[in-house]
Amino acid sequence: MNQDAEVTFEAIDNSESGDGGVEHGALLSRLCEAIYNEDQDQLASIKDQVIESAGADVLVDAVAVSAHFYMMTRIADATGTPLDAGSVEPSIQIRELVGVNAFTSRREAQK
Amino acid sequence: MPAYLTELPIRPDLNETHEELAKRWATTGLWWSGAERLAIVEEVRAARDSEPLAPWESPSAVEGLISEENILPISAVDAIWRITNHPGTLTAEWHASIVGQGLNPEAYVELVGVVAQANAIDRFADALNLERVSLPEPSHLEPAKSPDPSVQVSSHWVPTAQIKGPNVVKALSAVPFENESMQLLSSVQYVGLGDLLSDLVSDQNSLSRMQVEVIAARTSKLNECFY
Repeated sequence: MNQDAEVTFEAIDNSESGDGGVEHGALLSRLCEAIYNEDQDQLASIKDQVIESAGADVLVDAVAVSAHFYMMTRIADATGTPLDAGSVEPSIQIRELVGVNAFTSRREAQK
Repeated sequence: MPAYLTELPIRPDLNETHEELAKRWATTGLWWSGAERLAIVEEVRAARDSEPLAPWESPSAVEGLISEENILPISAVDAIWRITNHPGTLTAEWHASIVGQGLNPEAYVELVGVVAQANAIDRFADALNLERVSLPEPSHLEPAKSPDPSVQVSSHWVPTAQIKGPNVVKALSAVPFENESMQLLSSVQYVGLGDLLSDLVSDQNSLSRMQVEVIAARTSKLNECFY
């Protein structure tokens, strides 16, 4: 992969802000949104775009990674997994940038 | 036999691991029988395929939502639906209410493992318009249901073993079989958990590590997961 620019958190916050310096970042972010929304038309369109821009192997691997985080998020949230010691302070700015501070799970992860 | 028959270029290791996970679901667990573990997977599928309920609505309170052939405790069914459809709303009080209905805390950990795995594997299939993994015949051995005195509630809501690693890797440690299943899936769908922090640059199959992390973080945000 070619990194053409400094990596930022834009593609994590939403898919409208750009690639964030990651190749196909916005497209992959839109793929995640379509998988989450389960809108078949939206999903079919985005999948076609991923295949055309990056290839079918990227589509399969990207769907696999996204699907994996339907497991990891449920494990973390259903077990009351706290933030790891040492990650709380360094991640303050990142958490603000990607907009996760309003989540219910914040209260639980920081107890 | 692979889990999926498709023209899509699904890697053999991924295809075989999903098939392996289905076999593990059908195996007798520490707390749940093979039939009960498959019933957990079926309940995940029912929750995902149903009309959405609000987070505070329990499927057990809605007439007709739970099959008359259900073999799981009602508290387990309610937990499966809530974890599947509203993971970002879970609280310590909610967890206490579930185990307070008689669900053993270690049995709850095993349930969370199976629910989480089924969500990942079915979401993969659904997103690619594949048939969901078929479920094998269950093992007929009975679960031991023996509490492990070495696990205790310390950092998480649930009891955990004293193992090293990120807190999310400790989350299912009270039931090592489920922790192993999580790591099997991680190695084919994300990054081997042993390499999670030690190798931040290597490509993962057709994706760069940065692409992997964008997808991971975007999906976690969509699921409103703070961790």
